[in-house]
Amino acid sequence: MARDIDRRLVAAGRGARRGLTAAIALGFAAGIAVIVQAFVLARIVSALVFRHVALGAVRDDLVALGVLFVVRAGLSFGAEVAAHRAAASVKLSLRRLLLDHLFALGPHYAAGERSADLAATALEGIEALEPYLARYLPQMALVAMVPLAVLAVVLRFDWISALILVVSGPIIPLFMVFIGYRAEAINQRQWRQLLVMSAHFLDAVQGITTLKLFGRARDEIALIGRISDDYRRVTMAGLRVAFLTSAALEFFASLSIALVAVLFGARLIHGDIAFFPAFFVLLLVPEFFLPLRGLATHYHARMNALAAARRLFDVLDTVPMVRWGDAAVPAGAISIGCAGLVVDYGLGAPVLRGIDCVFPAGSLTAIVGRSGAGKSSLAAAMLGFVAPASGGVVVNGAPLDTLDRAAWWRCLAYVPQAPRLFAGSIADNLRLARPDAAAPAMLAALARAGLRDVVMALPGGLDAMIGDGGAGLSGGQVQRLALARAFLKDAPVLILDEATAHLDLETEAELTAAIGDLVRGRTAIVIAHRLATVRHADRILVLDAGRIVESGTHAALLALGGVYAALIGSGSVDAAASCAI
Amino acid sequence: MRDLIRLLRLYAPYRRWIAGGIALGLVTVLANFGLLALSGWFLASAGVVGLAGIAAQNSFNFFTPAAGVRFFATVRVVARYAGRLVDHEATFRLLAGLRTDLYARLEPLAPLGLAADRGGDLLGRLVADVDRLGDFFLRVVAPFSIAAIGSVLMALVFAAFVPLGGVVLLAGLVAAGVALPVISLRLGRRPSGEAVGLQSAMRADLVDSVQGMAELLTYNAAPAMQARVEGASAALAARQGRLATIAGIGTGGNLLIANVTMAAMLVIGGRLVVAGRLAGPDLALLVLGALAAFEAVAPLAGAFQALGGMRDSARRVFEIMDRPVPVRDPACSPARPATLGLVLAGVRLRYPGQAGWALDGLDLAIAPGERVTVLGRSGAGKTSLVNVLLRFAAYQAGSVTLGGVALRDIRGDDVRSLFTLVSQQTQMFAGSVRDNLLIADPAADDAALWHALEIAQLADFVRAQPDGLETLVGEAGVRISGGEARRLTLARAALRDTPILILDEPTEGLDPLTEAAVRAAIAAIGIGRMVITITHRLAGIAEDDRVVVLAAGRVAEDGRFGALKRAGGAVTRLAALHDRLARL
Repeated sequence: MARDIDRRLVAAGRGARRGLTAAIALGFAAGIAVIVQAFVLARIVSALVFRHVALGAVRDDLVALGVLFVVRAGLSFGAEVAAHRAAASVKLSLRRLLLDHLFALGPHYAAGERSADLAATALEGIEALEPYLARYLPQMALVAMVPLAVLAVVLRFDWISALILVVSGPIIPLFMVFIGYRAEAINQRQWRQLLVMSAHFLDAVQGITTLKLFGRARDEIALIGRISDDYRRVTMAGLRVAFLTSAALEFFASLSIALVAVLFGARLIHGDIAFFPAFFVLLLVPEFFLPLRGLATHYHARMNALAAARRLFDVLDTVPMVRWGDAAVPAGAISIGCAGLVVDYGLGAPVLRGIDCVFPAGSLTAIVGRSGAGKSSLAAAMLGFVAPASGGVVVNGAPLDTLDRAAWWRCLAYVPQAPRLFAGSIADNLRLARPDAAAPAMLAALARAGLRDVVMALPGGLDAMIGDGGAGLSGGQVQRLALARAFLKDAPVLILDEATAHLDLETEAELTAAIGDLVRGRTAIVIAHRLATVRHADRILVLDAGRIVESGTHAALLALGGVYAALIGSGSVDAAASCAI
Repeated sequence: MRDLIRLLRLYAPYRRWIAGGIALGLVTVLANFGLLALSGWFLASAGVVGLAGIAAQNSFNFFTPAAGVRFFATVRVVARYAGRLVDHEATFRLLAGLRTDLYARLEPLAPLGLAADRGGDLLGRLVADVDRLGDFFLRVVAPFSIAAIGSVLMALVFAAFVPLGGVVLLAGLVAAGVALPVISLRLGRRPSGEAVGLQSAMRADLVDSVQGMAELLTYNAAPAMQARVEGASAALAARQGRLATIAGIGTGGNLLIANVTMAAMLVIGGRLVVAGRLAGPDLALLVLGALAAFEAVAPLAGAFQALGGMRDSARRVFEIMDRPVPVRDPACSPARPATLGLVLAGVRLRYPGQAGWALDGLDLAIAPGERVTVLGRSGAGKTSLVNVLLRFAAYQAGSVTLGGVALRDIRGDDVRSLFTLVSQQTQMFAGSVRDNLLIADPAADDAALWHALEIAQLADFVRAQPDGLETLVGEAGVRISGGEARRLTLARAALRDTPILILDEPTEGLDPLTEAAVRAAIAAIGIGRMVITITHRLAGIAEDDRVVVLAAGRVAEDGRFGALKRAGGAVTRLAALHDRLARL
């Protein structure tokens, strides 16, 4: 599993493989330089201690040592930079792929509860890959190469020490596998528990007012303490095992150094061996274990990265359902039809179960029904955000899935229930609809949406910043800005999902007037929640459980005394008269 | 810096654990130093003895240094293992302590003291900050302490052999452990500051992309957004590339300094050996010891890097902890009055740091069991009225009495135990339906829970779930609709038998059929209680209901709905607008 992910990650970045190979090669060269440095150092010490020569006699060696220092520093610098380059290219292309793919999957996939997680995956998730790619992967390769090189050199000078390394070396991975399997399982479990505990704390902090209202906030303090304490106990029990992995590594590393030193000592006393090879080998022994130790320190980076990569590939492996063609939208006033339209998200019953209807050109059709009846899904199917399981949408006789999507979207303006303001100025938000719009056109659109005076009163006017960290707009103002966008786009088709939020009566009167202005002369499809809208509709479609159960004008449907009449009549008479459909 | 010192003081209760962690870390570092230094000395001595002949061999004490080598090897392993356990134990304890401390400080501040200055997820960020501060010991305090103490001790050992050697070692350690990280940090300040800015811009764009996707697509603006994100991504990579270069210089420099220090020992010691003023084996000790010593300062680069983030987190956390408590509680509450009529007289309320009065001479009397609808546009004082009644805000003038007792003489928790608030802000907690209900009444049995669900018209829904009351709600559980969530908060309200019920826009955002169900539930819950309904709509108000209209922080109209409609004031105007909308 992890290996597949590695391969996919590395394959994602252009030149990433080369960069990683370079980083590994530089790391290996640094390993060789360490061996050479140890050799030179042992010669110098041996000369100074045993031959009592003056420093001048070892000048060449000292110079060589200095050169080696610089070379090693350079190699370590180069490895770091090369590894970062490789990781950067992977990150860049993955982020591009992910965003492309998200736009292909569409709002039905991306919006809702998943949205925060997706944004986090695209930013922090992809950033979390860096330490894994730039540090863990090269280290992983060096773990095999550098110790082998060290071993080969040690064997050449002293077979007893080599034997010690041969025995303790392979035992370490073996031990790590033994303990590591369990440690990994424990670690994963703790990781999840840690997340659950953090989530609980976040929940408690964000719900602090609710808890206080119920007089439970002080109990929560004790509860947080208790949960943290329980977590600590469980985790520490796990960590006692998990840390054994690195303790085993340390044990063998330290023991090997000690054993090599003691055995050399015994042989040196009896003159069985010269000082130079003994000291040289002693210098090399820590280097034998160093890459392994490095691996252990990047373990958490690996866990983080693999979790992020899994989330990433989950998204990338989801196949976009909606298909598009490249046909132009047939000319003329646009009418839209649905024929046997079935939409099924695969969660229980289909949300639309055979919709047959026509939205004639230039007329206003209101769609009503209680929540969950399928109103939004019908709009989504016409927008091309969801793929029908069977049947389909037809635009002027052309099936929607044969059209070029950009061409179709150029023909329509869509105002969702909760319009989104984008980080930037008011003008930026308006130009979304028409990138080349000049100020007078924008002001005209704002005026028709009833927002011109509000915008002009803001410091900076059209250039006032809105969105996160900018000036706050009220709910009604956001709605009107979205309407202004639609005015500016001036498309023949309008699909509008009315807000359900209760607004001031004053605000609502203004909004209703603006919407009335906007729908005029267009093929308008409005998911309606306001009585004013349905009264003006040329036709009302009543949806219930994924089917059209009634259709007709307001008066005709009221007279029918069916679902529509019940919907209107629910609640008090007053409620019906005010706003709510 | 002051924030960090204050943070350390917060850690005082855990000083034993912290001292233990630092001591064990120190032992680990010193044992490694000892192991290599002693090994070098031991080999060289053995070599010297081996060349000196049998007599010297016999007089050489082989066992003490050999045992020393094994001792250091063992101590290193044990100390490291124990040290890691103690470090983590300390961290978990600290984190738990920080969390409970913080929560205890937040509780009196909520909700008004926790308002974010502008937008932003203050509480979410706060939680992330506390999590980061939990690592302060492990990532900052311990490395600095171990490096400082260890460096001095190792330099002293060197100085015992060669005074100059001790000085050079200490200089090398300071250069590698302090100077180099500080320089890297300074070099990296600009790119890392820019990287932070780019990341937050990119985050805004990514959230916009995901949440505003429908609009971006239909406006054919997705390619432009993609280009923007890609531009930010490339710019971020460029800054990170610069930071990686600086980091590379850091690692390379570290290596270079360690090696140069070692070479300096070679030169200093070599001279003394040639001059006969230093034993040969001691040179081996100095050389190997110098290399091992740098282990002590290796974590400092990371510690310096963590320090900046910790300082920012500490500042943000303390800024919130230091906010003034909006309402001071009296030491104890008087006995609960027999009847709970509510009288507000001339109440004036101004929020800290705001110029205008939110409530400006509010007079209002509500009898026990009475129903009142409070109308008003946003900013008229409706929410401030609730804040005063629930003791979330302290009023500056006037009086509020509950059954004749001044509200400010009653402890906040005791005041709130008399009220139940239903608003759309009421939070659902991750957990089961049962957990969410028990918040209202921890002692409630199953029968009481089901009864409350019946009243809230949610019993059928819960019964239909396979897990019944244990059905999980929130992110991990079933998705409940807005209407179901609202009815769950109503079920909570039904569980609390308080004399006063406040409904703040209780049917906001519900579809008509759900709204009808919620209204029916509210009627059932309100029986026998004082009910204050806050709204800005006229829907559902009967002719003879009492209506209070707030405007500019005081009562503008007060009377029966039917009469006010004809009185020619605000209600008349609203009713006309209402009718016009209905006819439109």
